[in-house]
Amino acid sequence: IGYGRGVFIEITHRCRTRFKVALATSENFQLSAVTSVCARLSQTKKSLFSDQSSAWFISSPSCVMFLWRTVKWAVSLLVFITFSVRSQDIRNTVGNIPMEWYKDYPHIGYDLDGKKIFKPIRNKDELDEFLDKMENPDYWRTVQDKMTGADIRLSDEQVDLVHRLQQGKFGDVNFNEYEPAIDFFSNEVMIHPVTNRPQDKRSFIPSLIEKEKVGKLVHAIKMGWIKPRRPKETTPQYYDLWAKEDPNSILGRHKMHVPAPKMKLPGHQESYNPPPEYLLSEEERLAWEQQDPEDRKLSFLPQKFACLRAVPAYSRFIHERFERCLDLYLCPRQRKMRVNVNPEDLIPKLPKPKDLQPFPTTQSLVYRGHSSLVRSISVSPSGQWLVSGSDDCTVRFWEVSTARCLKTVEVGGAVKGVAWNPNPSICLVAVSYDDTVVLLNPGLGDRLVCTATDQLISSYEEPEEVMDQSVQWAVAEGEGHEQGHRLILKHPKAVRQVTWHGKGDYLACVMPDNGSSLQVVIHQVSKRRTQNPFRKNKGLVQCVSFHPIRPYFFVATQRYVRVYNLIKQELTKKLMANCKWISSMAIHPGGDNVICGSYDCRLAWFDLDLSTKPYKVLRHHKKALRSVAYHRHYPLFASGSDDGSVIVCHGMVYNDLLQNPLIVPVKVLKGHTITHDLGVLDVTFHPTQPWVFSSGADGTVRLFT
Amino acid sequence: MSQVQARFFTENKKYLIDDVPFSIPAASEVTDLSGVINKLLEAKNDGHKHVEFDFLVQGQFLRTSLASRMETENISTEEVVEIEYVEKFTAPQPEECVMHDDWISSVEADSEWILTGSYDKTARIWSMEGKAVMTVAGHTDVNLYNGLSSLLLTASLDQTIMLWEWNSERNKVKARHCCRGHAGSVDTVAVDPTRTKFCSGSWDKMLKIWSAVPTEEEDEIEEPNRPRKKQKTEQMGLTRTPLMTFSGHNEAVSSVLWMDAEELCSASWDHTIRLWDAETGGQKNTITGSKVFNCISYSPLCRRLASGSTDRHVRLWDPRSKDGSLVLLSLTSHNGWVTAVRWSPSHEHQLVSGSLDNVVKLWDTRSCKAPLYDLAAHEDKVMCVDWTENGLILSGGADNKLYTYRYSACVLDAGA
Repeated sequence: IGYGRGVFIEITHRCRTRFKVALATSENFQLSAVTSVCARLSQTKKSLFSDQSSAWFISSPSCVMFLWRTVKWAVSLLVFITFSVRSQDIRNTVGNIPMEWYKDYPHIGYDLDGKKIFKPIRNKDELDEFLDKMENPDYWRTVQDKMTGADIRLSDEQVDLVHRLQQGKFGDVNFNEYEPAIDFFSNEVMIHPVTNRPQDKRSFIPSLIEKEKVGKLVHAIKMGWIKPRRPKETTPQYYDLWAKEDPNSILGRHKMHVPAPKMKLPGHQESYNPPPEYLLSEEERLAWEQQDPEDRKLSFLPQKFACLRAVPAYSRFIHERFERCLDLYLCPRQRKMRVNVNPEDLIPKLPKPKDLQPFPTTQSLVYRGHSSLVRSISVSPSGQWLVSGSDDCTVRFWEVSTARCLKTVEVGGAVKGVAWNPNPSICLVAVSYDDTVVLLNPGLGDRLVCTATDQLISSYEEPEEVMDQSVQWAVAEGEGHEQGHRLILKHPKAVRQVTWHGKGDYLACVMPDNGSSLQVVIHQVSKRRTQNPFRKNKGLVQCVSFHPIRPYFFVATQRYVRVYNLIKQELTKKLMANCKWISSMAIHPGGDNVICGSYDCRLAWFDLDLSTKPYKVLRHHKKALRSVAYHRHYPLFASGSDDGSVIVCHGMVYNDLLQNPLIVPVKVLKGHTITHDLGVLDVTFHPTQPWVFSSGADGTVRLFT
Repeated sequence: MSQVQARFFTENKKYLIDDVPFSIPAASEVTDLSGVINKLLEAKNDGHKHVEFDFLVQGQFLRTSLASRMETENISTEEVVEIEYVEKFTAPQPEECVMHDDWISSVEADSEWILTGSYDKTARIWSMEGKAVMTVAGHTDVNLYNGLSSLLLTASLDQTIMLWEWNSERNKVKARHCCRGHAGSVDTVAVDPTRTKFCSGSWDKMLKIWSAVPTEEEDEIEEPNRPRKKQKTEQMGLTRTPLMTFSGHNEAVSSVLWMDAEELCSASWDHTIRLWDAETGGQKNTITGSKVFNCISYSPLCRRLASGSTDRHVRLWDPRSKDGSLVLLSLTSHNGWVTAVRWSPSHEHQLVSGSLDNVVKLWDTRSCKAPLYDLAAHEDKVMCVDWTENGLILSGGADNKLYTYRYSACVLDAGA
């Protein structure tokens, strides 16, 4: 057992047993005293002592005090016990052994001299025991000493001690367990210290360890490893219960609630005692009565009563309430949901024109020479020559790369249309003026081709039976032949447009006439035959075109484009242009897309596979479109308009049928001056380069590259 | 004002100054620097006359102040700047204006004579003084030229090339050969350095090589109407057929030239310049551009190709580089298609270009931002330019005029 500032007590189980054994050999009261100590210890401080655990660290001062006293008492007791054992307990020397071992022996141990201690003669039987119990008044205080086997009669003091122990009291009568506590180790500063030990130096110099710790913290703060605590937000935070509310849920509907319109508060007229100006005169009252209830300004008659008591019940009360309910019920009160859409997002994402090069961007050459408006232009299949027909009754042939006019051919009227034969092995240009179409051989390009063309025309042999044709074919002779005229076709009406089939043998002419079925004729040059493909008049024909690959024929009337199959001789498609008056038409070289220009400033792109309605309508021009054209290789198309500009668009057609054509306007080309309210009259692309030609009312042809 | 340390040097022995660095104001411009050099030269030898100089900083002409130039070139102002100076190229002086009857499509000159082709279907020989010496009329269409002293070549839109023999003493021309074989207008002809062959490029996408040696024999041609042909031969000369045909271009050939005796170079409308082996006919290299090429010119001095195309730029190419579509330099100042471009025969940095914007420009590759001089004499499109070895620049155009300019670039070479 040790003690210090904190008291450490160790009482082992073995130790306690030894106490018992030791005490068992000593006097009874001593045994009881020790038992009492142990019982007392285990009873009073069960939390501190238990049989199994053997060590406690006790720090509470009151506990320490108690223990201190207990231990003091126990030590004195032990000293006393040891002393008494040494002096008295000399009868048996076997020690601390189970006495059963001597059960079968006559002795029970040995005395100090080594002589056997014999068991006292026990001849009492049960009856004797009983009699003894009945008769002996000290029987209850007689106990057997196991060590000696002798019966001991307990004295009064011993019995008293047993009683005290049984009651849980201290064995010592004189021991006062309620002594006043002396607080040796109090928190109060005493004048006199408990110990006389001088103060440690470390108690009044700053602690090095703490300094080191603080230094570490300061370094960590400097390095930013430790951040100062954020100041606590003083403003209370509220949780928005309805932040994620679905407006369609029931609660959301409450949010969208629109209160019913309030009824107008009663005014002076409704008063029981209105000012006299509110009261109706006799005529007014009559007029009021004669009016229909719907037309009345007032739904009641203002009345004057002498006092509030005299006011009768309102006769129309139920009626009025019902009407009010009807109003509330029938009037829809709903908040309109406005869709917030950024207008930028509605614009489709188009590639930048910069990425779609090449396309014509600048005016490069001006072909000057015509004195009147140039209605039509056409480029030779090789791309070396350009032909233009003008209202000054001339056709001019130009060298594309230098803008040199190589040849001027005069014809007998204002030229409406020119078309270069697309077949590279034939050198022919169809020119239409008035009611005549002339096939010219310009003599440009390959000499062999020119002579072969001449030979082809002169080798024609008249068939036996002469067909009655509406168009007269004549071979040019004399001066006309010198100029290049080869064949002259006289039509019954003025020819507006000429166009070649891709093979270069068929030539279609348009003679717009609203009243006749003879509006379109198709000539076969090699056989000098003419046929009228249409029996019925389907409207004023504006322009016609051959399909570049398949035997289809496109006829544009004012509002529709009809696609005919020339082999089956039937109408395959009718395209609705959604515009008032188609002016021009061009077929994509792939054959599945058509663009139409119209006089109401629109350009309609049709995808024949998609629909008979326009896939896209472009309204870029400010005035009527006069001409549209596709490029043969590049994904480009151009439109010329009366506003003097040519607009070039990127029109990519994909082989993938699922992908719609991509149409991006890329460039507005300006250069033509507007004369007589006319700007650009014709546009056409160079066959191989991304160049566009335009002819205008100012008598020039311009090349944009 | 900040000062810059500069060391001046020159190739020209005549204007040599001491090789020491000078401190000059950073804001000084060409005239200031020129004054400095002149001062130094005057101090060195008394008989010095004032000469205008031009200055090159890192191989490029100085056009702005020295400070701004050094800033753009990232030259440190702490170090000594090496500045080369050359005598300033004086402006070409207009010399003659020769009127034609029609547009001039091509011009070629040697030291004595000028040969022009015109849209009036004739080729003309002029003396250097601008006197009409001879008119060669034989083609049925527009003409192109190429002269080899007494032998003349004319190519035409009528798909033929004619070889003429010109006797300058008697002043007579005789058609020796008519070269037939092209199926399109012949746009360009070029004679090889050995003067035994010539090459022609045509709209029919073909390049053909012909013999340039006149003979008395006619090449065999299968023609059904032989008698008529005989009769024609009197005027047109003997028919000649090509020695070799190169096909490979996808579009019309616009310009052809000989790099040397074995190598041909052709430019085409299909946006390519191709190099050919003249012996085997194989393609050696292809330079791909983005626009139609109108004209090319090759300088054996700097081994660069210059091309004019249907945009505003004159582009320089290295024909030897394998990655053939790399533009070394773009010279941009024209406003129209560049129709003609010609390297200087004597100076490795200079070239002249003509454009549809009516201007002929004289370029120095060391000043790529702006041309040295604009020769704005023409009133219409410039169609052709040429540069003779004795410093004569010629240009013809759609205003029917042939202008000649005297250019004194040779001063530099004479001094050097």
